[in-house]
Formats: sequence, structure tokens, C-alpha cells
Amino acid sequence: MKLAVFVSDYRLNVDTLDRLKAEKLGIILVQNGVYHATVKEKGAASPLLGKSANYYALIDDLETRGLGNADIDGNVKVVGYGDIVDLIFNEYDKTAWL
Amino acid sequence: MGKLTIGCFSSLVGSMSLDFAVKLAGAAVEKGHKVDFWVSGNATMLSIKGQRAFKDYSALQKPLQELMGKGLTITACEACAEARGYHKDITMEGFKRHSMDWYLASTFDADRVLHIGGE
Repeated sequence: MKLAVFVSDYRLNVDTLDRLKAEKLGIILVQNGVYHATVKEKGAASPLLGKSANYYALIDDLETRGLGNADIDGNVKVVGYGDIVDLIFNEYDKTAWL
Repeated sequence: MGKLTIGCFSSLVGSMSLDFAVKLAGAAVEKGHKVDFWVSGNATMLSIKGQRAFKDYSALQKPLQELMGKGLTITACEACAEARGYHKDITMEGFKRHSMDWYLASTFDADRVLHIGGE
């Protein structure tokens, strides 16, 4: 299964994601979830970025929070709504919302 | 092209998830996909007509009406709406009202489904 998981919150504890098994995993950071791509705690990136997954962050939600490309972890690809539609249809076949 | 069904069980108008769902539906319609959009719970507030648009405040009626004009199908849970006093006479034109069966039927013949959980 190719699974795209929307992460919409920053306070999310990571174990929900640990229980999701997928042959291909995409993590799409939206709303306050985009902070996973930018915030470092004690110098370390968010543990959420430690999975073997493709990472994406929604540019609209980054910009709303005053964040831009310079702030984002190198493993995270910046996408727009149209890109997300393409990801849902072409790269993954199931979705989940956390 | 394909069919995307979005189910949104978010909070009231002003909810980030509701905004996200409408924008994603718009992007999918623009790309030529068919989109079914279902709202349940407090999100049924979206169906009320006459909500005024203020600067820096979530105002979804106009974009929704434009999307309906481009083929978006949007439906509110009738029970959820009635339970909140959102009756048929204050419902936005074009905004359908059905029981949950409509949502389930829509997901069965969709190519992709995105279920946005409750807040």
C-alpha cells in the first residue's frame, strides 16, 4: 500500500505514525504540522522526520506562519495544493489524516 | 482524471481543516477531477447561506459557489445540520443535504478518499 499521511498538528506524538505500515509512505505536513519541518528542539530536528518516508510541506501554511524555504529541513519538499492533488492521485493510493 | 471524495468532520467555519478541505477540493476541480465533498458535525455550518465575508477571516461561501459552478458536489449531513438548527430554508443554494449513506456511496466509487477527522 502506498499511503499518504496528512499531519495537521505539531503536538502530535509520533507513535501513531509508527503503527502505520506502508510499502511507500508519504508524510504531507499541513496547518501546524509544518512546524515539524522547521522547528528544532535542543538542536535536533523533529523525530517525525526520522522515518523512511517522502516528506512534503504545504507552502500556503508555511507562508501563513512566516516561514519560507530557508527555514525548512532539507528532506522536506515544498508543495502547493495542486501538487498535493497530484500526489494523492499519482504517487499514493490511500490517505490518512492525523 | 479521477474522482476524489473528501469527508470533512472539522469544527465550525474558521477551522483550518475546513479551509484546507475547500482549497484542496478547488485544486482538484481545477485539475479536472470530479470532487464529492461531504461535511458532517460542526462543519455543516458551511452550508448556511448569507455568511458575511470580513478581511482576514475565513469566508468560504463565494469560493464554494464558484466551485459548485465548476462541478463540485457538496453535501451536508442532514441530521447534523438539523441538530444544530441549520434548516433547509437557510441552506446555501446548490448545497445538498443527505444522510450519511450519500457519503458512503460516494467513497465506494471514488478513486481516492480523504477523510479529515473531527476537531
